[in-house]
Amino acid sequence: MSLSLGMKAQIRSMIFVAGEPIPLFWPMRAFIHHNPLHGLEKLPFNEAVAEGKRLFHGAGYLPRGVYQRYYREGRIDRHALAEGVRKFLAQQPSVEGIDQQTWLIKLLTEVETPVTAHGIPPEVDDLAAALFAERPPVAHEVDVDALADQLCAGLLKDRPLYESLDLLFGTGIGDELDELVIRSCLDFFDEGQSIWQMPGRDQGFFHAWREVARRNAWLFLRDRQIRETLAIAEDPEGIIVHVLEYLQIPESHWMRYFRCELARLHGWAGFIRWRSNARNYYQGRRFPGDLVDFLAVRLTLALALIREREQGGILTGSEHIEQFIRQHPLEALLRQEFHGKTILPAWAQRVKKALLAGKQEQIEQIGKAYLQDRKLRVADTLASALRRLALRADAGAALADMSRETLGKLLALVQEAEKQEGMIWLEAMEATAIQELLQDIRIVPPAPKDKRPFAQALFCIDIRSERLRRHLEAVGDYQTFGIAGFFGVPVSFMELGKGSEIHLCPVLLTPKNLVMEMSVNEVQGTKTLTAMEKVLHELKESVLTPFVTVEAIGLLFGFDMVGKTLAPRSYQRWRSRLHQAKPHTHLLIDKLNREQADSIVRAVQRAVIAKAVEHEFSVGPEHIKDGLIRELREAALGHAASAPLLQSELGMDAERAQKFIEQLRRIYRINTADSRLQMERLGRIGFSLDEQVVFVSQALHAIGLTGNFSRFVLAVGHGSQTENNPYESALDCGACGGNLGLFNARIFSHMANKPAVRQRLIEQGISIPYDTWFVPAMHNTTTDEVVLHDLDLLPSTHPIYLDRLQNGLVAACRLCTQERMPDLNFVADVSNPAQADQQALRNAMDWSQVRPEWGLSRNAYFIIARRSLTDTCSLDGRSFLHSYDYRVDTKLRLLENILTGPLVVAQWINMEHYFSTVDNEHYGSGSKVYHNVAGRFGVMTGNLSDLRTGLPAQTVLADGQPYHEPIRLITVIEAPVKRVQAAINQVAMVHRLLVNGWIRVVIVDPETGRIHIHSGGEWQEYPQVRNAENLAENEAMKL
Amino acid sequence: MKDMKFSTLKKLEIILEGEYQKFATDLLDRIGVKGYTIINNLSGKGSHGFHDGHLMFNEDDVLIMIIAAVPEPLVSPILQGFAPFYNEHSGVVFVSDILVTRLVKFSG
Repeated sequence: MSLSLGMKAQIRSMIFVAGEPIPLFWPMRAFIHHNPLHGLEKLPFNEAVAEGKRLFHGAGYLPRGVYQRYYREGRIDRHALAEGVRKFLAQQPSVEGIDQQTWLIKLLTEVETPVTAHGIPPEVDDLAAALFAERPPVAHEVDVDALADQLCAGLLKDRPLYESLDLLFGTGIGDELDELVIRSCLDFFDEGQSIWQMPGRDQGFFHAWREVARRNAWLFLRDRQIRETLAIAEDPEGIIVHVLEYLQIPESHWMRYFRCELARLHGWAGFIRWRSNARNYYQGRRFPGDLVDFLAVRLTLALALIREREQGGILTGSEHIEQFIRQHPLEALLRQEFHGKTILPAWAQRVKKALLAGKQEQIEQIGKAYLQDRKLRVADTLASALRRLALRADAGAALADMSRETLGKLLALVQEAEKQEGMIWLEAMEATAIQELLQDIRIVPPAPKDKRPFAQALFCIDIRSERLRRHLEAVGDYQTFGIAGFFGVPVSFMELGKGSEIHLCPVLLTPKNLVMEMSVNEVQGTKTLTAMEKVLHELKESVLTPFVTVEAIGLLFGFDMVGKTLAPRSYQRWRSRLHQAKPHTHLLIDKLNREQADSIVRAVQRAVIAKAVEHEFSVGPEHIKDGLIRELREAALGHAASAPLLQSELGMDAERAQKFIEQLRRIYRINTADSRLQMERLGRIGFSLDEQVVFVSQALHAIGLTGNFSRFVLAVGHGSQTENNPYESALDCGACGGNLGLFNARIFSHMANKPAVRQRLIEQGISIPYDTWFVPAMHNTTTDEVVLHDLDLLPSTHPIYLDRLQNGLVAACRLCTQERMPDLNFVADVSNPAQADQQALRNAMDWSQVRPEWGLSRNAYFIIARRSLTDTCSLDGRSFLHSYDYRVDTKLRLLENILTGPLVVAQWINMEHYFSTVDNEHYGSGSKVYHNVAGRFGVMTGNLSDLRTGLPAQTVLADGQPYHEPIRLITVIEAPVKRVQAAINQVAMVHRLLVNGWIRVVIVDPETGRIHIHSGGEWQEYPQVRNAENLAENEAMKL
Repeated sequence: MKDMKFSTLKKLEIILEGEYQKFATDLLDRIGVKGYTIINNLSGKGSHGFHDGHLMFNEDDVLIMIIAAVPEPLVSPILQGFAPFYNEHSGVVFVSDILVTRLVKFSG
């Protein structure tokens, strides 16, 4: 089968779109919090939740019992719930003769399990009979056509064909298929965990798998079917079309079919989806594989399993199955109930026997009787539940006298209420959280102080900074700010001794600039090293610039190429040695000029040529003279026609010499095109002065720090410290791409301390005094310790103040730990800060600790405001805090940036926690205790499972109950209401998040003192008494 | 100038959200488009509201335009390929006639 170019492209595009609701899965080295329903954000929240339920079988809200507990504990305000029920009722047809409000409140707060949630719609006649103890209505003849329609819709729509077979015939294909697909994925995508690796992986997933499958390595049972399918087409698109046509899936259903297939192993599909889209992922470039490959593999295996069953007489093909259902609807019903394990237990044995016997008449008879019995049971259960509910609502008599018509209306009301109750609870819970916050805020800021603070500190917006900031402000003369932890500087970073770049910025960005970490000292022991180290050594000795290191070579030539071509073992040894004791480093932050870049390229090329000669001709370095290398370089770059010295000194003929020059060009990349590329790559190193000025200015403006600078301005990055934890990265800084925040802090401080940058900042209205020094620091969120860095760069005027600064930090940290430890249930008595401190440290070092810290759990708010709005209240470590002073943001650009960057990242974090909490089994990753690392990039439960996505139970649950309180992010913005609305309307995607209800937004207008909230699709004024005195004061405060 | 030889090609201007750049370029590569130019941070208004081009902290949500000059036979497969995508996403594809002097740069 050969598809047209357009058809192939169409298949790819359909699969791309089909895969969009599948949540991306980042390798766990850089865990990225994200909304598992991100692909459905174009839908309103409740619709997306319903779609998520259909695709991933995950619940979108907590069970009623948990909400009831919150209600009892006051976490859900009774007025808020009553208001929610009132709003709901206003949109429903009324049921006469009963107090609907009371009925529904009682239903939600006192009946623990939903009364209508058994999936089968009850009929009013049956219900009335059960309720009023009447004789059950006479069984009508079964409407077989309606039953067939219902079965066809349920069995054939929105599910892979083998699921229909499994439900009808108990074929068990789905589970077997999943297992085979997981094994195929583990073999191909392995990143060094497995001993055996799939051969030919560089050809891509489908082609490598195809070769293995053809050679029949492990699929021996389905040998013939697989070979036949694979012989149909060469490319994955052709195979996919073949399978779908074989299974009689109409083309108009293909996209939904793809989506259902992908959703079955959404962890693996999400990983492959992420991987194929990650431009800089080394493994992905080396061993490519995308969802088209994945589906081709999956469908080939599915078809083989289906055809295997076909031989056993089982029907295949969608049309055949539909025909079967239409001919034998009662048999299909019994089969579905039996194999789907939904059959009433008392009937299981009879149904099984009848199906085995295969006598149509008997089957139909049993089918009818079963249907009747099921109807009555459903009605009985519902009737008892309604009676109990009526008693609670003090309406037992009303129910007993109820007309059939009213009963029908009541039933419809209860059904609808139970359908929407998740949203009613959620909104009530959010209303309570909003109320709690707003009652404590300070709308009118205090008068500014004359004196500058002793120190200022810029913390990440992360919720874990809030406690530390509050305590630091309390222990001394400190002013703190909140900013996304990458300090607004997106950077690609190459750490000393690492051959690859990491992106230190939110995943929404691709950094354009590269910063390299350089050793201040020489690497020791070069005499004992070989190959790779000699290149390094030689460069260090002979090169004029201080910039060349082994990383530069890696950057220019591809580290692995050099390492593996020349000396793989020594390369590995050298790498591991570098890891043992990391030397003192500095960062290469400033841009290279053209001469510097050019001399680096030359130096590296010379070194590589020398190594190439040594390697190809086995000659010692004493024979490799400068002249020879120069000549070879000229020849390889096409500046000279031949290399006579090579021939004369190493005694070889012209042909061999020419061949070697070709090798230099091809293998060792000494050619003009690569030289140009290398220059371009070097051009990425560092930031130009202009860029540095822009980044520093933008960051300081964004947080409103444009004057009154202290002697010390700390740039505090953060990270966690845990042992033996695949989820370690989830606890690090999300704004730095799930990495430590320290490097960005160092880079930002370096820029802000630079005299040339400061000079230019004056033009932008930021005058940083000569005695202000930016100091990078690291906040360890597991121990609360803050360590200052790059102190060797401190000006001589500053060390005498250092003691006071460090004492202040220690005091704040200890108070912070003391506040935090009880939540981790480790110390009963935390009145002693020292004891709490020791406990935190122990936690960080304990490799068996499954919950070293609570991380971002319980996040609830995102506050974009001046610190004065919330500095008088404790936010209990639940709020992202982004400093923002609307008075310096005349064009709204700063606010738009905060909304599109930090807010979006916070929303991902919030939604990840939300869904991992409401359904940890489906959206979270279950208990860590059963996790096994898979392929070095993810975890599975047990030996073989889908890749587990989301957060583990230990992160969001305590003793099986939610610790995280799942609500949508409450975003509070302090600025004039019209301006905030304009900013939101200006940015389509944030506007979409708002109107679709993925975030809640509250605007606090400091100029009018009014508060507005977006609710029910519109802006509403929040009821609050305006304080005239405050407003007058506020007028005086305006700039 | 009088020796200049012009050849007819089709110009595609593909506008979509930055998040989908890789999908779009991958599709073009597979269909055999030899090169394209990408313009980032577009501003403009369409059925999904206003898109502003200056968002510093979020490259995924700005609009981009991919411009490609292709031989006529490739236009239909490209449009066929993008069709399922544009059923679900904002953006447009403009197709227009253009003349180029160095045909070899654009066709296989």
